[in-house]
Amino acid sequence: MFKQLPAEKLRTDRLVMGLRFDLLSLFTTLALLSTTTTVLSDVILSRVDRRIDLTSQIARVTSTLKVENAGPGPVSEILITFPEVQAKNLAYLMAALNEGKGKVKNSGISLPIKAVNPEGMPPSLIFHSVSLPTALGEGDSLTIDVLAVFTHALRAFPEEITQADIQLVLFQDTAHYLSPYAVNIQSLTVKLPKSRIESYTKLDNTNIHGSDIKYGPYENLPSFSYAPVAVHFETNQPFAVAQELVREIEISHWGNVQVTEHYNIVHGGAKSKGEFSRLDFQARPHLQGASAFRNLVAKLPPRSHSIYYRDEIGNISTSNVWDDPKKTELLIEPRYPLFGGWRTTFTIGYGLPLQDFLFESEGKRFLDFSFGSPINDLVIDNLIVKVVLPEGSNDIFISTPFPVKQGQETKISHLDFVGRPVVLLEKINVVPEHNQYFQVYYKFNSLSMLMEPFILISGFFFLFVACIVYVHVDLSISKSSASYLAKMQWDEVRATIQEVQSIINQCLSTHEKLEASLRDLSRTGDVQACKTARKTADSLLKEYSKELKPLLSFLQIFSSGYSNITLRWRSWWQRRGSCKRG
Amino acid sequence: MAAAITSPVPVAWYPTLAIFMLAIGLVVTASFFIYEATSSRRNRSLAKELTTGALASFFLGFGTLFLLLASGVYV
Repeated sequence: MFKQLPAEKLRTDRLVMGLRFDLLSLFTTLALLSTTTTVLSDVILSRVDRRIDLTSQIARVTSTLKVENAGPGPVSEILITFPEVQAKNLAYLMAALNEGKGKVKNSGISLPIKAVNPEGMPPSLIFHSVSLPTALGEGDSLTIDVLAVFTHALRAFPEEITQADIQLVLFQDTAHYLSPYAVNIQSLTVKLPKSRIESYTKLDNTNIHGSDIKYGPYENLPSFSYAPVAVHFETNQPFAVAQELVREIEISHWGNVQVTEHYNIVHGGAKSKGEFSRLDFQARPHLQGASAFRNLVAKLPPRSHSIYYRDEIGNISTSNVWDDPKKTELLIEPRYPLFGGWRTTFTIGYGLPLQDFLFESEGKRFLDFSFGSPINDLVIDNLIVKVVLPEGSNDIFISTPFPVKQGQETKISHLDFVGRPVVLLEKINVVPEHNQYFQVYYKFNSLSMLMEPFILISGFFFLFVACIVYVHVDLSISKSSASYLAKMQWDEVRATIQEVQSIINQCLSTHEKLEASLRDLSRTGDVQACKTARKTADSLLKEYSKELKPLLSFLQIFSSGYSNITLRWRSWWQRRGSCKRG
Repeated sequence: MAAAITSPVPVAWYPTLAIFMLAIGLVVTASFFIYEATSSRRNRSLAKELTTGALASFFLGFGTLFLLLASGVYV
C-alpha cells in the first residue's frame, strides 16, 4: 500500500466537501419538504434493503422495498425518487414483485414504470411511478425489487494518472433511502471490487466487511431523508465505453442474417498522462497499467459463422473464437492496450443462420434479435441499430421492450432495384441489461425473392441478344465496294456448299439404308421387303438430285470454288449406279 | 404459433448447385457461339439463337446467384 501524501489527502477531502456543497441546495429543499409534505404519506416503507454493486464500471443499485399502506384508500402506484445528478446517468430501471422470501432475484414479472412529475416537488428530484398489478388495500403490504443501473457514476479521482499509478474512483450516493415516503428500517450495502478502499464517509452504524461497506440499519426516518456518502476506492475493471456503436442487421431470405458492428471505443477511466512504456507494461503488467485493458470478449449467438474483425487498415489478426452449442465466444484484442482516455475504432461482423432469428406468424414475418452489444460489460453512449429488410418488404412494425427512437431509410445493396427498407433504432446510455429481444414485423411475398436471379438472367440474356444483333446487322459502310461484294458472294457460296453438304449426307444415309436391306435379303431371302426399300430409296434419291441441280448450277458460276464438289458428286453418283446394278 | 423461416434451398447445396449450373450454362454458351460463328447468314435461325441464348442465360443467372451465395455474398 502506498502512503497517501498529505496534499493529496487534502484534495480528496476538498472534493468530497465540494460534492456536499453541490448537494446543499438539494439538501435544504429536502429538509423543507420533509417537514411540510403530507400528500404522499399514505404509504410507508416498512423495510428497505439496498445493495450497490460497484464491481464493474456500471453501478447497479438493487433495492428491496417492503411497501405498506397505512392510510385510508387503496394505493395503486409507488413513487421512486432519484436526485437529478443521478437521474441523468440512469440507464435502466426495472421493478418486479418479490413474492415471498428466499426466492431468486427477478423472479417476479416486471412492473410498468413511467416518469412522472408530481405537483409541489422541487425540479431537482426526478420521480418515476411504478404501477402495482393490484391496488394495495389499507393495512396490506407487499415487497418489490427495484433495479436501477447507472453509467458514468464512478468518477475517476485523480482524473489523470501515470502508467505506474493505480486508478482510484469516487462514488457518491445517500446512505438514507431517498423516498417521498417515511422509512421504518433501512440498510445499505456497497460492494466494492477490491479490499483496497482509499476513504469512505463514516456515519454512525458504519461497518466494513472485506470489500463491503455496510451503512445502517437506520430506524424511523422521515420522508426525503438524505445523508450523502462518498466512497473512494481502487478499481481495475475495464472501463470500456463505446461512444458510438452502429449495428447493422441485414436479412437475406436466401438463408443468412448478417450482423456488422462498428465500434468507437474509449477507455472511460482515469486519463493517462506522461509517457507510455511498452517495456514496463509487458514486464510488470500488474503494477504498470493495471487499469488498462488489452482485450474485449464478445458473446455471439450460437452457430455464428464467417466472423471477422478489422479496422480501416485491414484485418486485425489478434482475435480468437471458441465455439460450443450454446454460444460463440469471440475474444478480440485491439492493436494496442487501451489506457485511460485512449480510443480505438474497429468493426466486427458475423453471419447467423436464418432459421434461428426469422419466424413467421399469422402471415407476417418477424425478426427476433438482441438489441444491445454482444461485448461483455460495455457501456454504450449512443447505440444505432439498423435492420435492413429484404427488398420488397412492406407493412413494417417494430416492437421493443423499452422506448427507443425510431426512423426509416433505404439502402441500395447487391442486386437491388428500388433499395431495401431499413429500420433505424436509436438509444442513448445502453447497458448490458438492454440486451433484450426486439421484434421487427414485416410482410414479404416469397416471389420477390426471384427478383435477384431475374436481374442476373436478364443481364446475361441482354448479352446474348447483343451478340445476335451484332451478327445479324450489316455494319459495312460502302455497299458497292469490291471487297464487300466479294464477301457477299463468298457468304452465298458458303451457304450453298452447306446445303449441298447436307443433301449429300442425306443421300449417304439413304444409301446405307439400302445396303442394310440388301444384307437382310441375303440373310432372310425376303425379296418383297428389299424391293419396297429400294423403291423408297430411289424416289428419295431422285428428289435429292432434283434439289441439288439448281445449287450445282449456281456453284458452276463460281468456277474456282465448285470443281472439288462436282468431282465428289460425280464419284458418288457412279458408286450409286454400281450399287443399283449390284 | 411462430414457425422458423428457412431458405428455399438448403445452404449446404449452394456450392454444388453453383458448379453444375455454371458448367451447364457455359456449355450452352459455347454451343451458342459455335452456332453463331459457323452458320452462314442465310440459313441461320433466329428462334434457335434466341432459345439457346435464353437457356444459357437461365443457367448462367442461377449459377452466378448460387456462386454469390456460396461465397458469402448474401444478396
